[in-house]
Amino acid sequence: MKYSLLLIALSACALVANTPKSAQTIGDYDKINSIETQVLDIDTKVTSVETQVSDMDTKVNSVERKLASMESTVSKIKQTKEEPKEEQVLKEDLDIRISVVGQGVAPMNTSSPAQAYALAKRAATADAYRLIAEKVKGVRIDGQDLIKNMMVKRSTIRTSVKAMVRNANVVETTFKEGLCEVEMEIVLSHAQFSY
Amino acid sequence: MRSRDGNRSLTRTIFLLILLNSFVLLEAKEFLISYRYVIKDATLYNEELYISNSMQKCLGKPQKSLTLTSYKNNDLKETIEKNSQEFIDFIHKLGLSVEHKEKTTNHINRSTTILTLKTTCFKVDFNDNFARIAPLK
Repeated sequence: MKYSLLLIALSACALVANTPKSAQTIGDYDKINSIETQVLDIDTKVTSVETQVSDMDTKVNSVERKLASMESTVSKIKQTKEEPKEEQVLKEDLDIRISVVGQGVAPMNTSSPAQAYALAKRAATADAYRLIAEKVKGVRIDGQDLIKNMMVKRSTIRTSVKAMVRNANVVETTFKEGLCEVEMEIVLSHAQFSY
Repeated sequence: MRSRDGNRSLTRTIFLLILLNSFVLLEAKEFLISYRYVIKDATLYNEELYISNSMQKCLGKPQKSLTLTSYKNNDLKETIEKNSQEFIDFIHKLGLSVEHKEKTTNHINRSTTILTLKTTCFKVDFNDNFARIAPLK
């Protein structure tokens, strides 16, 4: 397009050169000038289009890269779904580390922020102990639904756990906006269970 | 001039005095301690720590001990009261029995967790300004 317009301009110039000087009028010169300005305009437009095209190219490349990475993650997820996770079994040479995060809140009627923190921490510690007991020993669950005239009147779920937890360690304690979180862990070894 | 017997009695008296003094300074006692706290709906509801002198000799060997700064009269209750957080952390390490119950009725949840240290005998050594507390097992 650019070259064709240049050719037209050149041919116009040649025509102007070939015509006798007597035939050249002020109107012809004006036409040539206008064509030249048009050609320059077209040139600038072509360069802007070229830059736009190069920008588009880079965008397309980045999108392609993203697509490739997404495809790889999807394939990884598929693989993990296909392969069932091996259940943790307490082996003689391998310890199991169980980590939990217990949560607790301070009561409403505390005399100071320090007391609130201490009480919330105690509640969070108890929650962490409960979570450890649930993970190690398991939970007993009972459910009961009362249905009257084809409608659920009352739905009750009871869970309970009873265990003895020893050698649990507090890893981290955080207190934010009245909520205390205690990260606790316990290491289970084969020797603890073999009598 | 003193006789040999006189010197011996003096040495014996000094030795007995030192022995008596050491007994006074290093006094070992046995205490029965139990601890229990209740959490209701993620909030501390009740906490109890019972300390009493043991009426009879406890069996078992002292385990890993905790040293606390003791106060006048060798009072364990006061010592623990002044170092409560440290002592409770120590109790947690010993092991607590967990009892948790949760009830969800029509999507409204209520929970109760009870942590208990069953009555355990502790040997307590009072020394000048320190009390060494060790559970017996």
